[in-house]
Amino acid sequence: MTGEAVALPWRVLPDYRCFGCSPANEQGLRLSFTRTEEGIACAFRFDRRHESYPGVVHGGLSSTVCDEIMGNLLVLRTGVSVFTTSLRTRFVGPLAVGADYRCLARTDAVAGAPGPYQASADIVDGEGRVLVFASGSYQPVSAEQARARMDLTDQEARLVQQALAGLRSSD
Amino acid sequence: MGTSTITLEEIIGTVAGLIAAEFGRDDGQLAPDLDLTAVEGADSVKVLRAVARIERTYDIELEDEQVFGFKTIRDVATAVSGLIAEQDG
Repeated sequence: MTGEAVALPWRVLPDYRCFGCSPANEQGLRLSFTRTEEGIACAFRFDRRHESYPGVVHGGLSSTVCDEIMGNLLVLRTGVSVFTTSLRTRFVGPLAVGADYRCLARTDAVAGAPGPYQASADIVDGEGRVLVFASGSYQPVSAEQARARMDLTDQEARLVQQALAGLRSSD
Repeated sequence: MGTSTITLEEIIGTVAGLIAAEFGRDDGQLAPDLDLTAVEGADSVKVLRAVARIERTYDIELEDEQVFGFKTIRDVATAVSGLIAEQDG
């Protein structure tokens, strides 16, 4: 349902510290997502901790937001972990510190299809003007590959796999 | 998209539409060889936004040196056509 808050599968891990989306990471962006007709969206406002030039948000953080939302959208859509293989960002205008923005992501990826998956994301200002256009490619990994790449206990790995399996069976 | 059979004229039409939308104009008001920098209300931000939409439409990546050198819709379409041809091998 459009506007509905999205529950990310990683929340099953009590010590999850994703820089992009974990509420427990005090240095992170703490992004939260809602459903849209096309995919998911997030709202954010950067402060002086995120500056490059005075009053201007560091462009790398715009890329981070886009990567975060696209990656999460693909996980939600496909029910598997994905790793970014390429990220393309075109900056049309700078983001201002203290201003409100939204990032919207979409993908045509379907669960079970072979990778890489493609997704795109836009950062828009309060008037709906797109300031950042991003697209990315993401490679799905098997549970074994994910386990080998991540620092998880056996129990944590099981919790994540159960959460991902729930996504695959929910649509 | 059947990029292997797409013509330059088709690309010109699509590019003109995307640029016109960013400029707030009707397609027919922007001739392929019109100097875009001379269009009232046009600015580099609008051109860049249109380029981003064009790149997304064709799943291509234009070089910045090309982008900042574009003068006309035909310039843009020609660059797009070249990239599509490269992708098709």
